[in-house]
Amino acid sequence: MALKQISSNKCFGGLQKVFEHDSVELNCKMKFAVYLPPKAETEKCPALYWLSGLTCTEQNFISKSGYHQAASEHGLVVIAPDTSPRGCNIKGEDESWDFGTGAGFYVDATEDLWKTNYRMYSYVTEELPQLINANFPVDPQRMSVFGHSMGGHGALICALKNPGKYKSVSAFAPICNPVLCPWGKKAFSGYLGTDQSKWKAYDATYLVKSYPGSQLDILIDQGKDDQFLLDGQLLPDNFIAACTEKKIPVVFRLQEGYDHSYYFIATFITDHIRHHAKYLNA
Amino acid sequence: MDLHDSEDRLQLFPEENTRMRKEVVQAEMANESRGAGDGKAQRDLQEEVDELVHLYGLEDDHELRDEFVDENMPRTGVSEYPPYVMKRRDPAREQRDWRPRGETVEAEDLGFGGWGSAGQCQDLREAYRYTHGRASEEYECYVIPEEEDEEEAADVFCVTCKTPIRAFQKVFDEHKEHEVIPLNEALESAKDEIHKNMYKLEKQIIQMENFANHLEEVFITVEENFGKQEQNFESHYNEILETLAQKYEEKIQALGEKKKEKLEALYGQLVSCGENLDTCKELMETIEEMCHEEKVDFIKDAVAMADRLGKFLKAKTDVEISAQPEFEDQTLDFSDVEQLMGSINTIPAPSAPVINPQAPNSATGSSVRVCWSLYSDDTVESYQLSYRPVQDSSPGKDQAEFTVTVKETYCSVTNLVPNTQYEFWVTAHNRAGPSPSSEHAVYMTAPSPPIIKTKEIRSCEEAVLICWESGNLNPVDSYTVELTQAESPEASGVTESVVGIPTCESLVQLQPGRSYIICVRALNMGGPSVRSEPATVHTIGSYFRLNKDTCHPWLIISEDGLTVVRSERRIPARELSSSDSRFTRCVAVMGNLIPVRGHHYWEVEVDEHLDYTVGVAFEDVTKQEDLGANCLSWCMRHTFASSRHRYEFLHNRTTPDIRITVPPKKIGILLDYENSKLSFFNVDLSQHLYTFSCQLHEFVHPCFSLETPGCLKVHNGISMPKHVTFY
Repeated sequence: MALKQISSNKCFGGLQKVFEHDSVELNCKMKFAVYLPPKAETEKCPALYWLSGLTCTEQNFISKSGYHQAASEHGLVVIAPDTSPRGCNIKGEDESWDFGTGAGFYVDATEDLWKTNYRMYSYVTEELPQLINANFPVDPQRMSVFGHSMGGHGALICALKNPGKYKSVSAFAPICNPVLCPWGKKAFSGYLGTDQSKWKAYDATYLVKSYPGSQLDILIDQGKDDQFLLDGQLLPDNFIAACTEKKIPVVFRLQEGYDHSYYFIATFITDHIRHHAKYLNA
Repeated sequence: MDLHDSEDRLQLFPEENTRMRKEVVQAEMANESRGAGDGKAQRDLQEEVDELVHLYGLEDDHELRDEFVDENMPRTGVSEYPPYVMKRRDPAREQRDWRPRGETVEAEDLGFGGWGSAGQCQDLREAYRYTHGRASEEYECYVIPEEEDEEEAADVFCVTCKTPIRAFQKVFDEHKEHEVIPLNEALESAKDEIHKNMYKLEKQIIQMENFANHLEEVFITVEENFGKQEQNFESHYNEILETLAQKYEEKIQALGEKKKEKLEALYGQLVSCGENLDTCKELMETIEEMCHEEKVDFIKDAVAMADRLGKFLKAKTDVEISAQPEFEDQTLDFSDVEQLMGSINTIPAPSAPVINPQAPNSATGSSVRVCWSLYSDDTVESYQLSYRPVQDSSPGKDQAEFTVTVKETYCSVTNLVPNTQYEFWVTAHNRAGPSPSSEHAVYMTAPSPPIIKTKEIRSCEEAVLICWESGNLNPVDSYTVELTQAESPEASGVTESVVGIPTCESLVQLQPGRSYIICVRALNMGGPSVRSEPATVHTIGSYFRLNKDTCHPWLIISEDGLTVVRSERRIPARELSSSDSRFTRCVAVMGNLIPVRGHHYWEVEVDEHLDYTVGVAFEDVTKQEDLGANCLSWCMRHTFASSRHRYEFLHNRTTPDIRITVPPKKIGILLDYENSKLSFFNVDLSQHLYTFSCQLHEFVHPCFSLETPGCLKVHNGISMPKHVTFY
């Protein structure tokens, strides 16, 4: 697949690039950001995938989170795709900020209108990694995933649905139990229809309950003053309870005074990158 | 060596000869005197000479050459010329025609020019003549025909005549019967002969020099010995004289007394005799008077007189002379004088030896090596070394004194007490008796080795803190710590020593990831003790033990100092005595971490259902409060209630809100002084739990508390797992 480089900026000794390509899964042009650390000049590096939240593009993370220094130091290639297909001209895709454009929810839609393009789950778990492995100096065996909010949800479900594929997973203020929260209900009913059994396949809390796989070490940071937490959109307690039950190791940190913004992400991004580096560089 | 190859040279000889004679008369020394015309000949000769010099090693033998130079002998009789010089000349001569040719001689001498005078040459010739017993006339006659036969050189050697001759001469009558050998052979054998003799000469020189030295020494010794004998005799003699004088006085005095006695006795007798006489006379007179009296009075008096007479005459008159006029023969007891006389030749008792101060490091814990010297030539048969322990201030108790007899001037005294001072003194003995005692010297035994407190060793990757018991009742001067790396035992010997340690503990820098064997020695003025029992230290991870002194009364520490148990039983509160070091309110105990900044990592085994707190605290944390309740401690607390695990990370009573889904069974704790961080991990999952940022201005210690009965087990000596290194 032809990659078109959109931009390249040197940062902390490495290079922050943005590419565009024609996506097979999503049937449209997709942009993604990729950061190549200094180490990538000489050897293959592990890959860390960042999934952004509602309304974000590939730009938010790379410009606001301040992750470059940690990524550079630990020698990780960080890939940040867009949050949904763009310019597909689907009716209603731009109606709300929490459904459609910028709100892919990292599922493979089954409903009409959406099923052709809205296949973010497959994009993120299949197409994008293959693309990255083929075009960048990454080690295909060492891959991890993390994200924020909807991206946090995406990270959790990718890891839980693919035991062993990801060496580690972490999340900032993830939507832990979409089946039970307004966002989730809206998105899933739109993308997956009304059959709730299909929804559970994309719900971290449910997935944990039947997770058979290898040991995961999950780090979750949650701002205590996060409005959406208070609004019941995130529901981390459910997830924690399920993990406790299933003895899935989670360290959940409720950060006093922090909200849902990138300021919160920027504060703890280094901890998360280190968390991943521990497993990717082991 | 063919010295006669150059025909020109030979031709020159006659001219030179005449010139030479002139110069001989002048007795000149230098080459230069021979004039310019000689120049060429001179040089050729010089070459010859150099060859000669080289052949015979004369250049090395400066001594002899110098003798030639220096002996600017006057042209006097041959007899003054030492024959031995001649012998040296011989080899050179032998190479020439053995017929004594003046020119040959002179040429040669010219050759040795620089160090041969003309006069010398003449003398040499004469001397040669002398030693070879040839008449000068003969010599002269040979010379003349020589001049004609210049061209033909001697080429054989007549052994019989010991002279070189020309071959044809063999035919002559004189040499007809004689044995003849080629000149070269003769040369060689003559050379050898000379060499052998030279060698013998050298040896003799050395021998005589040595002998001369020896004689000198003996000479001096004779003087010394005389001096000694003189002194000895003088003192003996004086002693004898004194004794005699004394005896004389005594005897005279005794005689005087005796005389006095006799005279007094006699005088006494005289007096009583006189009295007797008086009485007799008186009686006589009375009797006479009586006789003139009337009858009646006479009878009266007569009776009385008769009585008196009778009595008087009854009394025995002693007419024995009480004191004899003769004096007894005095027996003069000269036995002691005789003894003295007899001992005049005996050796005196020796003078006092000088005892040496203690040589450093010559003592062991139970022995010292005492040395002394005798600074005189006295004969000594044995030495008697006495010693006793140095008295303390208590003078009343007399310490036992020991004595050893030895023949050498040193003695290793054993069976002593370590780290103790002993007084030593020594006397020298011979047949005459003992010498006066030497000064008293104090020697000290080395101390006993210390005992390392192995249970209290604290270490980390970069250092070890060892402490020990002195092993000695009395103080020692200092301690030495010796380290050897355990992995390389073949590199025998100590790799590192720390000396001059004043107290019973030491912090030693080490390399990480090694094993060390550590010993300690005590040191005093007698030397070092033997090594203590070794202790092994591994610089992997950090080692510490729980400190019993800080332990809350309800806690029991195991023997190995790594497990703490809280039993169900409780001691009533009033029995808890307050002390600065023990925890009172909080049922806790602290560990003794080595006070070294850097990384320290340890693990704690916990029970899921146990309420516990683990972390670090400053040494002076208030023991009356809970761990984490103040700003002097940072810890992780687990509470298990209603089947829920609750985790807090406490400092100054505050904790972040952290949920942990899988309760750790083994907690890894990383203390990082450099980055001011304290991190907690779930060891089994390699999961990072929490990190404190803490300002560690002083050293902290691990702390542990049990809020419910149960036990905590500490694991030490673990090197930081890789996942921990990310933090």
